[in-house]
Parts: sequence; C-alpha cells; structure tokens
Amino acid sequence: MRLLLVEDDSMIGAAAQQGLRQEGHTVDWVRDGKEAEVAVTDKVHDVVLLDLGLPRRDGLSLLREWRAKGIGIPVVIITARDAVTDRIAGLDAGADDYLVKPFDLDELSARVRAVTRRRAGRSASVMKIGALEIDAATKRVKWKGEEVALSAREYALLEALADRPGAYLTRTQLEERLYGWNEEIASNAVEVHIHGLRRKLASELIKNVRGLGYTLDPLPGPLPREREK
Amino acid sequence: MRRRLLVWLLSSVLLGGFAAAAIVFYQARMQSTEFFDYQLRQLALTLRDRDYSVRELAQALRGQQDLDFVIQVWGPDGRLLYGSHPEIEVPAPEGTGFSDAVTASGNWRVFAIWHRGLTIQVAQHKLAREALALGAALRTLLPFVLVLPLLGFLIWRLVGREVRFLETTARAVAKRSPESLEPISDEAVPDEIRPLVASLNDLLARLGAALSQQRQFIADAAHELRTPLTALRLQLQLAQRARDDDERQKALATLGEGITRATHVVEQLLAMARQDPAAQSAEHKPVDLSGVVAEVVEAERPVAQQKGLNLALDSRPMADITGDRVALRAMVENLIDNAIRYTPSGSVSVRTYVEGTQAVLEVEDTGPGIPAAERERVFDRFYRGADAAAGGSGLGLSIVRRIAERHGGQVELAEGAGGQGLLARVRIPLSPS
Repeated sequence: MRLLLVEDDSMIGAAAQQGLRQEGHTVDWVRDGKEAEVAVTDKVHDVVLLDLGLPRRDGLSLLREWRAKGIGIPVVIITARDAVTDRIAGLDAGADDYLVKPFDLDELSARVRAVTRRRAGRSASVMKIGALEIDAATKRVKWKGEEVALSAREYALLEALADRPGAYLTRTQLEERLYGWNEEIASNAVEVHIHGLRRKLASELIKNVRGLGYTLDPLPGPLPREREK
Repeated sequence: MRRRLLVWLLSSVLLGGFAAAAIVFYQARMQSTEFFDYQLRQLALTLRDRDYSVRELAQALRGQQDLDFVIQVWGPDGRLLYGSHPEIEVPAPEGTGFSDAVTASGNWRVFAIWHRGLTIQVAQHKLAREALALGAALRTLLPFVLVLPLLGFLIWRLVGREVRFLETTARAVAKRSPESLEPISDEAVPDEIRPLVASLNDLLARLGAALSQQRQFIADAAHELRTPLTALRLQLQLAQRARDDDERQKALATLGEGITRATHVVEQLLAMARQDPAAQSAEHKPVDLSGVVAEVVEAERPVAQQKGLNLALDSRPMADITGDRVALRAMVENLIDNAIRYTPSGSVSVRTYVEGTQAVLEVEDTGPGIPAAERERVFDRFYRGADAAAGGSGLGLSIVRRIAERHGGQVELAEGAGGQGLLARVRIPLSPS
C-alpha cells in the first residue's frame, strides 16, 4: 500500500517510514500540515497517517477540511493527545482510527490494514479470490492452497489489484501505488513485476486490456486447462 | 473559644464583684470606726457625767454583761477598781483619749477619760466593727454571686450565636478538598473576620494558580516526553527487526541518537523545574558573567566545529553581577546551544559588554531566525517554532527568560546583522559597587 505519513518529528518520522517500508508499504513522509494538504490532492495514497500537532497547519483542521471537501481517504490519527475528548474530537472529525503515541510498529501496520479492510468492506484479513488467498497480516499468498513466495513489490502489486477485483488499474496508477516520491522507477517496472506474478501464479490471473489497464480476473478458478478438456 | 470567652468574662465579673466588696469593706470600716469611736466616747462621757461612784457603777451595770463594751475604772495608783467583764483583760491606759490595745483576747479600741483621779476606760473589740464592715461587703458581693450563673448562661448563648458563622466558615474550609479552591463566601461574616476570610481567599486563589500551573507543566512535560519515547520505541523495534548486522548497526546508531535526545528533554525539564520560583534556594553570590560565557563557549566549541560553524567570542571585562552561577551557566548554555542547533551553516557570535549599569550578553547566529510575530511565543514552555529543527525540547528559551528574570534582567530577540539570523540579547544589572 502507499501511505502518506504526516509527522513533524524527524526521528519518529524516519523510524516509522523505515518500519512501514519493511512491511512492504510505500511510504511518503511530509513534515507539516501544508505539505500534507498538497500531497493528498495527488490522490495516490491509500491511507494517511496523520499527526495532530503539526507546524503551519493543525492536523485536525486539515482532516475536517478533507472530509468537508468529500476527500474520503482513510485516515489514522497518530498523536500524543490521549484524552478521551481528543479521541472523540479526532474520530468525529472523520478519522478512521486513532493511535496514541508511543505506539508499536506492529500495531500501526495492523491498524492500517484494518482501516483499508473496512474501507473495502471486508472483515477478515485473508482475501480469497478464486484459488487465490492473500493474507494481508502475514503478507503470505497461496495459490490453489499452496504457498507462493513473492517479492515485496510483487506482493504490493497483487494486493493493489486484489483490493478491488474486477476493477482496472493503469500502469501509472500501479506505479504510484508501488513507488514513493523519490524512488526511481524503471520504465518497464510494472511489466516486470506483472510478469513475475504471472509466472509464479497463473498467467490468466492478471489480464491486461489495452486502454483500460490491468485487472485481476476473479474466476480463472477451477483450473482453466481442465475446463478446456 | 466559646469556653474561653465564658471563663474570662465570668472571672472578670467575679473580680469586679470582689473589688467592689473590698472597697465597700474598707469604706464601711472607716465609717464604722468613726461611728463606733463616737459611741465609745459618748459612753465614756456619759459615765463621767453621771458621776457614779465605783459601786454605783457596778450596780448600774449589773446584768448588762452582754454589752459589747468593756468598761473599766482604774485608780490613780493604777489599780483596777472595777471591770464590767472581769474575765477580759485590757491593759491600763497610758493616757487619755483613743488608743489601740493588743491583748490575748484580740485587738481592742480603747477610750480613756480622767475623772476625779480615776480613769474611766471604755474598750470595744475591733471584731465587732469589722463584722459590720464585712457584713456590708458581703451584701455588696452577694448580687454578683447570685447573677453569675444567669450571666454565664447568657454569655454562653450570645457567644455561641456570634461564633456560629465562624464555625460555618471553618466547616466550609474543612470540607474543601485540595482540588476545590473556590473562594469562601464572605457574606454574613462580621467586619472583624472579613480580612481573615479575604486573605484566606487570596491565599486560595494564589494556591489555585500555582497548582494549575504545576498541573499544566506536568501535563506538558508528560506530553513532551511522549515524542522522544515514541521515537525510541520505533527505533528499538527497527533494531530488533534488523535482518543483518549492517542494518542492526544503523538501527542502533539511530536508537542512540534517540536516547541522547530523550536525555536532553529530561535535562531541560529538570532545569525548568529548578528555575521555578518555588524551588529557588541557591545563594546569590558575585558572578563574573563574561567568565561564565567564556567557559561555555569553550565547552561548545567542539559541537560547533563538528557542524562546521564558526563560533566567535568577543568578551569585554566587566564587573560582577550577583546571582546563582549554576543557573547563569545554564542560561548561557541554552542560548549558545540553541544558536548552534538551529544554524545549519555560517557562524555564531557571542559578545559580552557593559551598557550603563547592565551586563549585556549577545548571541547572534546566521540561522533561519524567528519571525517577529513568533518571537514572544517562543518563550512559552514547550512552544516550538513552525520551522524548528528537530531535537529541541521547546524549553530552552523559556528557561533562559526565567533565569534572566530571576536576576532582574530581560531577554529580547531580534534579527541578526543584515536582517538575517537571530540575535538574542540578555541584560542583567551589575552588582552595585
């Protein structure tokens, strides 16, 4: 997933970014409210991790503005303000979750997963699409009941496609999902990872329709070759 | 209080009664002395005028033993010719007129008169007179003693009524928890007590202000500690997750930085707490401010060099200021430390000089400076500028101002030379020479 981390403290920011990257996320980090305001307009992020006490623009007012403008991006507040009234204010402003500092990296990523799951209308952390099983918590993928080892990029790509089965994602959208702002992207990066996925899983699983983009075919299901027979 | 008032008031009344009785007693005794002396003299003169012989006298007075006068007739040779009460001995008179005699039977008042060679002596026991005076005195005292219980009852009730509001006030104070510091109502409180209630309320108000300030500080401090703690926790987890030695080394290095930062915040909090007006205990002694500045500059020089900053000192000799050397050093450290911390490149210039009766310390840097609108706010505890670099505790300038003010000085912030960077200027009065 591509996350937007809004945190003014450089140590927390650096550590959280690194930790979330290790989990396979793409993390863009901004240090103040104004930058966050600009970053969200790109609409490339899946979740915003929002600190409240921010320089130049308070996190809470930022969140309220997003919600007022109809920007529905999932937001997890991460803050040192732990009073019940603060939590209520944060959730009422439109936050999807509220995490009080000091927090655990594992808890942070679990909440990120939970928020995206809820947004996608799922309640379990394991997605099943035909013969494909994706466990977002452990980042393990099974194909026809057997575990398949994927690279972090391949997993992120698969997860992006699996988030909305049947929907088409363009190469640019996938690139944005996979790479942060300052990462160099090889021109054929997406194709390379798609190729890897097709090789490890099944070539019919990911379809490419010219002009529309890539999609996960939810029903390559009960072994296509057997169907042919 | 009620009981004490009662005891004191009743004692006073009783004392008054006794005083009155004593006065009455003395007055009565004086009057009765005059009266009885007159009586004594009249009796003696009567006896003389009757011109009784001794025998006739004895006859005339026979059966009159209960008379409270002793009548005696003495011969010219000093022999007792007649005594109305033979059992009572009154010594022979030494002359005529009034005299006092002390005998085995008590004190006597005596009047003697000459008559044809005989001495007629009339004596009266003094007790008789004093009994009269005493009687008068007791009669005076009696009403006091009789009204005493009534008076006591009245005093008890009246004092009780007047003291009741004191009790309600006391109860109001007693019921107060340390958290509720609202003022005590001074309605229905007599004028004499109002100053007490007013000063109590004043104390409560100051206590409340100090308490909420402390609470705010603790809340802020706890909040402020969360940030470095969060960083530490994340850094620790990264170190734990490290997949190889290289990653682990890097993670541990950032963890070390995190610990340094957390330590700095804690130290600043302690420095702040020490500068609280309530915690001032250090003795004020003559301090050479320029000497302290030179020390701090030397101590900070390695830090500046590491960042590639030029740290310059221009110090003029100056008279001592009076103060707490440790606190002043903390103040100078904070100023220079801040300048180095927030200046990415260029120089930090430190100057000390005397202006009028004040020692002046200037620390100027070539950093980003602080916008004029924010210059007052940065003195607030835990306030960090919008573009503040990481690692600051948000307490440095607050500590600086506190220490300067404790030494009768001020701190001001201005732009550095050429409108760039920040110039912090501290003025502290020199010791009067």
